[in-house]
Amino acid sequence: MESPASAWKQWLAEHGPRLLLVARGWSNSRHDAEDLVQEAILRMWHHQAESGGSPPDLPLVFSTIRFCGLNHHRSESRRRKREESIVYLHDFKDVWLDPVLEEDEEAVILRDAVQNLSQKLREVVVMKFWGGLTFLQISETLAISPNTAASRYRYALEQLAHELRRMKEDRHAQA
Amino acid sequence: MHKPDPIEAILARLMPPGLSDDGQSDIAAMLDELAGVPVGITPAKPGISWIRRITTGGIAAAGAAAAVIFSLSGPPSPSPLSEVAPVSEVAAEFVLVGESGRIEAMTDEGWQENADGSTMRAVRLSVVEENSLFDEETGIVMKVSEPREEILLMPVSAF
Repeated sequence: MESPASAWKQWLAEHGPRLLLVARGWSNSRHDAEDLVQEAILRMWHHQAESGGSPPDLPLVFSTIRFCGLNHHRSESRRRKREESIVYLHDFKDVWLDPVLEEDEEAVILRDAVQNLSQKLREVVVMKFWGGLTFLQISETLAISPNTAASRYRYALEQLAHELRRMKEDRHAQA
Repeated sequence: MHKPDPIEAILARLMPPGLSDDGQSDIAAMLDELAGVPVGITPAKPGISWIRRITTGGIAAAGAAAAVIFSLSGPPSPSPLSEVAPVSEVAAEFVLVGESGRIEAMTDEGWQENADGSTMRAVRLSVVEENSLFDEETGIVMKVSEPREEILLMPVSAF
């Protein structure tokens, strides 16, 4: 019989990138995001122990990552000066998403645009597109209605399309 | 059939990177450790800097303002939102068997402007800090709760 640790490791290998991407929305760096994922998994382990010890569903983990992130942000903001936080939050040098193809200009533009979406919109896009959640699951995770989740997603796509057009026009104007 | 939005088609060419080797092995080591730990003792992850370690002085201060709930049921069952700390000795008679901090409610207080003109989003949080202390002499486990409200100001980076 498969040990619980093995089942969790297999689950982590499958979903790790998704968890990390959600955690990036609540972290200042990749390293912090990985700490956040680890903390969420620790909490999930104890939580799941009451229901057989199997790995949890993604919506529950996403929700836990958000709360861990909020807790982290709360204690961080006590320690760090606000000015430093602002500079840090704008530091997007290490990226959240990698283009599958090389020299994919559109993908690179959208990658930056996704990172710069407002948190409300970005969370829905990340959970829907890369997390694979339905609007119903997103609504439960974020405590919003399914219609709100769907409209945020559509609005985010519109913003991304607008940003893509704008960047392309700028680049063509410069060429 | 749903026709993919052109933007979705481009997004599909972006993939989230995996955890780093170090991150992956840290979590794997934690899972192994957790799988081998006796029930009732829950270790904290070494290296998570924001999990606070409570001190004797902190316990005394919290105890003064806190509601004390007695329980005979042994160590508390952890919730997914609770922070868990390792067993540590607080006083001669009491052993700290658990520490948690959870957010019970969160209210959006809207936008606020700072003196420097930057915009902040205010969130009101109802937080409960809870410590579990084991009395070795009587076998009683006490839960010390400290509820409080906090306002969290988050810088707004984009609209």
